Amino acid sequence: MKNLRNFCIIAHIDHGKSTLADRILELTGVIHTTNNEQVLDSMDLERERGITIKAKAVRLPYKAKDGQDYILNLIDTPGHVDFNYEVSRSLKACEGAILLVDSTQGVEAQTIANAYLAIDAGLEIIPVINKIDLPNAMIDECRMQIEDMLGLPGDDALLISGKTGSGVPELLEAVVSRIPPPPDDLAAPLRCLIFDSYYDSYRGVIPHIRVFSGSLVKGNKITLKSTGKTFDVDEVGYFTPDLVPCDKLETGEVGYLGAIIREVGDIHVGDTIISPDHPETPEIPGFRRVLPMVFCGIYPISTNDYPKLTIALEKFQLNDSSIIYEKETSAALGHGYRLGFLGMLHMDITLERLKREYGQDLIATMPSVVYKVVTRRGEKSEEVMIDNPSRFPDPQFIDHIEEPIIEARIIVPKDHIGSVMELSEKMRGTLKNMEHPDKRRAMLTYEFPLAEIITGYYDKLKSVSQGYASMDYELTGYKPGPLVKVDILVKENQVDALSFISDRDSSIGKARVLIHKLRKLIPRQLFSIPLQAAIGGKIIAREDIAPVRKDVLAKCYGGDISRKRKLLEKQKEGKKKMKMVGSVEVPQEAFLLLLKMEDED
Amino acid sequence: MPSLVPDLARERGLYVHIPFCVQKCAYCDFYSLPHQLDRLDSYLEAVALEACQYAGLKFQTLYVGGGTPSLLQAAGLNQLLGSLGPIFDLSSVTEATLEANPESITPDWLQAALSRGVNRISIGVQSLSDSELERVGRVHTASQAMRAIEMTQKHGFRNVSADAILGLPGQDWTSLLITLETLIGMGLPHISLYCLSIEPHTPLAIHPPPGIPSDDEQAELYENSLGLLHQRGYLHYEISNFALPGYECRHNLNYWRGGEYLGLGPAAASHFQGKRFKNKSDLEAYLQDPCRQIEEIEDLPQSKKAGEEAILRLRLLEEGLNITEMIERLGDENLVGLMWRLDQLVKEGFLTRSGAIYRLKPEWALVSNSILARVLED
Repeated sequence: MKNLRNFCIIAHIDHGKSTLADRILELTGVIHTTNNEQVLDSMDLERERGITIKAKAVRLPYKAKDGQDYILNLIDTPGHVDFNYEVSRSLKACEGAILLVDSTQGVEAQTIANAYLAIDAGLEIIPVINKIDLPNAMIDECRMQIEDMLGLPGDDALLISGKTGSGVPELLEAVVSRIPPPPDDLAAPLRCLIFDSYYDSYRGVIPHIRVFSGSLVKGNKITLKSTGKTFDVDEVGYFTPDLVPCDKLETGEVGYLGAIIREVGDIHVGDTIISPDHPETPEIPGFRRVLPMVFCGIYPISTNDYPKLTIALEKFQLNDSSIIYEKETSAALGHGYRLGFLGMLHMDITLERLKREYGQDLIATMPSVVYKVVTRRGEKSEEVMIDNPSRFPDPQFIDHIEEPIIEARIIVPKDHIGSVMELSEKMRGTLKNMEHPDKRRAMLTYEFPLAEIITGYYDKLKSVSQGYASMDYELTGYKPGPLVKVDILVKENQVDALSFISDRDSSIGKARVLIHKLRKLIPRQLFSIPLQAAIGGKIIAREDIAPVRKDVLAKCYGGDISRKRKLLEKQKEGKKKMKMVGSVEVPQEAFLLLLKMEDED
Repeated sequence: MPSLVPDLARERGLYVHIPFCVQKCAYCDFYSLPHQLDRLDSYLEAVALEACQYAGLKFQTLYVGGGTPSLLQAAGLNQLLGSLGPIFDLSSVTEATLEANPESITPDWLQAALSRGVNRISIGVQSLSDSELERVGRVHTASQAMRAIEMTQKHGFRNVSADAILGLPGQDWTSLLITLETLIGMGLPHISLYCLSIEPHTPLAIHPPPGIPSDDEQAELYENSLGLLHQRGYLHYEISNFALPGYECRHNLNYWRGGEYLGLGPAAASHFQGKRFKNKSDLEAYLQDPCRQIEEIEDLPQSKKAGEEAILRLRLLEEGLNITEMIERLGDENLVGLMWRLDQLVKEGFLTRSGAIYRLKPEWALVSNSILARVLED
């Protein structure tokens, strides 16, 4: 095992992780010169957004300067806060990590978050300063930040350019010399970590695994520690990044197994695989079922497409078991699903993929966090978790409402501290701490309700700091808040899909903006349409849409008839894209209003 | 009150298009060309050639429209009607209409019309306010229009209609009231009141003059006009048309009842043997080869034809749509969906149904598009 190295690259978004991975793949001869295409990011969307969503692993043969042959396993990790748990599991599969810092940006919030995860996982960390070919590289500052903000030896940081490849050979040598080989535990019973998986329609779920002890051979039986389910292994292998079958995977090795696992729900990232002969083998610590933090409803635009949506979701979940969904019926939108996501990015990506890859035309309702609602009926008190504003209990029985709270770490240039603090206060943030890691920047620690973060805090943070602020956060718990549910009524019909939860202070303002926007968006119709916002039974905002007064084909005779019939047919087509709320035609955009409302006010 | 003109749905109308004008009006998107009068003779010859393809057809109504048919003058009119007479069977024509513009009506022309059996003149008055006329590029004044009406009546035409436009730049209820009261006072038995529609690519759309009444204001003008015309005994027999009993335009009624008609001339449309077709809007090409100008033929399936006929018939606010008659003609199987949609609109209060007759409620006439759209098949 001494010639084996398992490592990953961790970095803030856009600090050059995927480019470095490509250079390493080239240097080890796994791929030939690429056309700037990042091999590990196989989904189009990943490439477009520059984010690695799912972890993967590649086995790299490497002949080191000491003349010996090594096997390097590069395990790719997602770099976004939504996928923190997945990152932690990928790190668990490694002995070391390359911590990449963009020399023009310095240490950012996700650099810190990822570094802490790596330190917690006990990894050997190699600090690396990237993009040194750029004229605005600040190498000395980066060294200081690595020292001060991360507590790692800044002077030891290697200098590289992923783009030109300079310094990358030395980096590979450092991987071999500084990262320890996996401990040799071949004699112990089988114990593997699942750090990722994907679904293959012929072979079922293919878990990506790291063997911690024992070895895994084709034909072995395996048991999943969390459920006790047992499977027959019909293939083991490794990634190049293609799947290459091999005879066995031994202690320390990284690869995959095939065992005709049909249920996606059977395989959970972080679970431990053991041998059924040794049920006493302990699990690898840190396993938990990931809980979605953000929910939204999705509805087909045409109600006829509901079965298609069902099939798309079933298929989708095969490749992303962190998505949860259940049936939901909205009075306004008909049959749909309520989806739970790990975070906003996860939600955006999922909705986009449903649209693109599965051809689904969707209405997505405003995202919601999970509220803890404590009700009181007489002496009886009850606590319910609610992820959909329309399912809130009757306000008269609500004792209080608690909402999820996060702690955010924001790194911001000093010039922008004022505007970031102003924004954060508006979003109900509480400043917990302020540090000055270097001369240019401050690190603010804030406590926020998660609900504020999912309704656009991050975008606004970027805009008030001209793109310089970075943020990372983690869920810290629940706290009671002065929360109310605002209902929207269109011509006396409550539109469940437009209900939202707000803190009491800003509820009237939000309601007014929403009602005003709805008025502009809903076209005039044959009747007057009152639009109202209400808390409980009390109306807090109202505007009326006046009826249309003139919509007529005046001169209709002779040759005009075919043309005018077509005109009316077109009008009819336009109506089909509307959702009927009672007798009112409401354009789909209305249901996205709450999302957009925040951006424009 | 039901219409006094019986529903002779299977009538056939003949339309002749005269694509010439003195000057194009700012709102006009019909096919007409200014300054081409020197081509009138060859044009009328071409019309006769096109007509020959349908020789022997029998018509109950005749309508010469435009453009400006009064530009034909007596000679042109004699040439046109003189050549069509022997080609078609016009012996049963009960209504023969000529369109005319005030500035080009002459005693000679009226005399020729009378002697050729024309019994209805439709005059493009549009407004009796000089400033309104000027702003949309009409070439006549209000007093010219009144003189033209008087002249027409003096020649013995009882059935005279005036077109008026609602929603002209600068128009308010006072000016529209003066226009309508004057026309009523002059004893016209038929008034067409069209809402100004701003068609793309017309000068009005490209350079809209100030003072075009808003949709809300136009709706007010329309409501006021309905009240006035009703009070003076005019039937609101079609969304934009008003007539004293018995003076409904038969030729146009035939359009709205889904009847047959043949259109001659460039841009003229026809509904013949179940198909709708239209000539190209190209005078030059028409003069070259008047018999090969049809640009598209539309042959709708029966259920679609039923929907189309329904949206036309619902424009007839008095007469309405007789579903029993349509079932007899088009067959049950093509009308099931239509009836369901009509009944739904009755439930929602847009239509009334009494016995077999569906009618659009007059208060929805001005916003009828979205209602009629729902009558069409999905």
